[in-house]
Amino acid sequence: MNNGNDIEIEVKNLNFFYSGGVHALKGISLAVRKNTINAFIGPSGCGKTTLLRCFNRMHDLYPGNRYEGEIVFQGRNILGADIDLIDLRSRVGMVFQKPTPFPMSIFDNVAYGLKLRGIKKRAELSERVERAIRHSALWDEVKDKLNESAYRLSGGQQQRLVIARALAVEPEVLLFDEPTSALDPISTAKIEELVVDLKKEVTIIIVTHNMQQAARVSDTSGFFMLGELIEIDGTDRIFTTPSNKLTEDYITGRFG
Amino acid sequence: MSKAMTRMQSRKLQSAIALFLSGMAALFGLFWLGFILWDVLRHGTAAVNWALFTEDPVPPGTEGGGLRNAFIGQLMITGTATLIGVPMGVLGGTFLAEYARGRAISRFISILADIMVSVPSIVIGTFVYAVMVKPVKHFSGWAGAVALAMIMIPVVLRTTEDMLSLVPWRLREAAFALGAPYYKVIVQVVYRQASVGVFTGILLSIARVAGETAPLLFTSFNNAFFATDMNKPIASLTVTVFQYAMGPFEEWRAQAWAASLVITIFILAITIIGRGIIRWKYGNK
Amino acid sequence: MPTIRKRISALLKGGSPIDLIFASMTAVAAFTVCLIMLGVFVSLVRESSLSISKFGAFSFMFSQEWDPVKEMFGAAASIFGTAVTTVLALFFAVPIGIGIAVFVTEIAPDSLKGTIGAAIELLAAIPSIVYGMWGLFTLAPLMGRTVEPFIQRIFGGIPVLGHLVSGSATGIDMFTSSVVLSIMVVPFIASVSRDSFNQTPSILKESAYGVGATKWEVIRDVVVPYSKRGVFGGAVLSLGRALGETMAVAFVLGNSKRISLSLFDAASTITVTLANEFTEADTDMYLSALYHLALILFTLSFITLAVAKFFISRKTGEHDR
Repeated sequence: MNNGNDIEIEVKNLNFFYSGGVHALKGISLAVRKNTINAFIGPSGCGKTTLLRCFNRMHDLYPGNRYEGEIVFQGRNILGADIDLIDLRSRVGMVFQKPTPFPMSIFDNVAYGLKLRGIKKRAELSERVERAIRHSALWDEVKDKLNESAYRLSGGQQQRLVIARALAVEPEVLLFDEPTSALDPISTAKIEELVVDLKKEVTIIIVTHNMQQAARVSDTSGFFMLGELIEIDGTDRIFTTPSNKLTEDYITGRFG
Repeated sequence: MSKAMTRMQSRKLQSAIALFLSGMAALFGLFWLGFILWDVLRHGTAAVNWALFTEDPVPPGTEGGGLRNAFIGQLMITGTATLIGVPMGVLGGTFLAEYARGRAISRFISILADIMVSVPSIVIGTFVYAVMVKPVKHFSGWAGAVALAMIMIPVVLRTTEDMLSLVPWRLREAAFALGAPYYKVIVQVVYRQASVGVFTGILLSIARVAGETAPLLFTSFNNAFFATDMNKPIASLTVTVFQYAMGPFEEWRAQAWAASLVITIFILAITIIGRGIIRWKYGNK
Repeated sequence: MPTIRKRISALLKGGSPIDLIFASMTAVAAFTVCLIMLGVFVSLVRESSLSISKFGAFSFMFSQEWDPVKEMFGAAASIFGTAVTTVLALFFAVPIGIGIAVFVTEIAPDSLKGTIGAAIELLAAIPSIVYGMWGLFTLAPLMGRTVEPFIQRIFGGIPVLGHLVSGSATGIDMFTSSVVLSIMVVPFIASVSRDSFNQTPSILKESAYGVGATKWEVIRDVVVPYSKRGVFGGAVLSLGRALGETMAVAFVLGNSKRISLSLFDAASTITVTLANEFTEADTDMYLSALYHLALILFTLSFITLAVAKFFISRKTGEHDR
């Protein structure tokens, strides 16, 4: 049901206000292409995470927040009042800064989204859980202890578990909010590898304050500052010949 | 696609029902609160009159009379208990938050005090009976006050400890840097900073013991006459309510309601004020 | 923390004599807590020694006798009443308390959260004697005239359940006592559960929402399991408090030393026995038996409260990473 081209999400003149009136996003317009990795970078407080959380309407959990403008996904404006949020969130998944395993076993964690959707047959669950965990490059490490508590895993493993959990419901888009900021370098490398691998199946948007990470994994990068999108372009271009002076200053480390 | 829709709908329905039920639970709780308060108000106001406060009890069956002795007695016992219990509690809390901070003994006493807060108050009464009433073979206001004080001490101790611990260490450092000895730092800086919280803790502990009956049953016992000698049994509102409620006389029951109303208003007022002060000063807890 | 400790000991060594005096005063005050607890235990043991030597420390708990004239005593009836009323009270109070906590933390709008929470806590501030008055003059008649006969009509015929509701429904019985106790205890469960629920990191809740869970599913599958130690601790704490309640129960329990299987019969709890008979005890053995009851109650509460404390304060251990 798409527009024929390969745009997954299109943001049209988005403005966002936190409760209390803080104008956190100012006139954002951008396009996210299917099966690409898109990085949002910028100094603290620039709005990159705020924008990310618009894509799955996480802001709706807290009263008083307000959107203006449109975000078009699969032919509909997902900021509309008639949108089923639960359905949206099964198509647009999210991985957070700190690993967030639920207080359940490893198997139950990954199966959670599936069970919510009514999949009860043990065989089908097992198959989809295994597929998701394999996808998340975690299978060999947990295949013998699926019934153990998820808290027994290391930080890096927990984060991959959380990714498996998000993958199990087969979303079209995956949002990553600084996914490796709480992890050691080795786990970080594993996750980055995983993310690059995943783009074959999902469209990825990743917020990161680590510029090298953005340069390593992403196809497109968008630089934000003070709630505005300063520049968005192919990653190579952004990091070698940025068009905007502010972008250049940030890339070269002159601030933030 | 339509099967998925109905499942989604059923989940949402489940969610709505569950949340509705928890709302009902809250309403249920509030209902009982309202019911009890309304009842106390209803019966109590019918029986409250000036005589209640100004006259002493008359022999049963006779008209009139009041509970002046019980009011005075309650004030005396609670007042004495406060004078004993509060300094002990504040000093004890100071020990835990200052001198013993971070050490195992502090945690141990803190846990012990927490347990003591919830120990059956009637057991405290039996203890005080054994050490203060039995040896001298008579009840006394002092015994009642000591029993109440034993309940107050752990309450005041814990709130003081918590409030003093909230004061940032930097404040103490600044005072030390000026050459003040530790006791002065505590009294002049820490106490002052935490004064509102500590005071409110004291207020709430008074509200707690002002309504106690069981520990007074065999310590200060009761007295049908006006008495101010703490060495003798003293009347208290709470014990009076206990005796009158079970008694056979209509006037007694009415007076029990009146006394209950006064006690309830007093304690709820202090509690609301106390909690209000904490919310205002320290934000929502 | 070590630096603070070192600082404090350094201070005490080089401080003025007033410092030492003040420090000692605070230490003495703090140790009074230990002293009182120890004193209570020792005193109770001493006073009940007569009863312990005659009836045995433990066999006393299983004897149903209670004859002041023959000087034969046993705690079974009192313990039975204590157990039934507190367990039944918790049975009512736990689901309601948790429901209230769920409402206050997840559903109520921010403006109402504080007020409703505070109102529920007022239930805990009402003195127990007022609960007793209300129980005796309002609830008991209501129970005896309307509620209990109604329950008897519905469940009376059923084989096992029927026994629980047999007997004359006067309203002065274990059932009414349990209801009063449960109302008193609800705010404790609600308050501790609420604190536990609030400790769930919002990032965890967001994760669940992010997978498309409904509000109820997030509460059921994430918040409650995460907080289950705290909630359990709250329930145990309420048990501890309910054990020690005297006045709320004294008016509506009757004073029967018979162990009855019907909830609509009068009974006894340790606290009520103490309240009613302590000043009537005319022989040393009688008094000693009462002290023996007090000792049992004290030990029971102490253990219960210690267990509660363990669960309430250790709950973050497992999840810390």
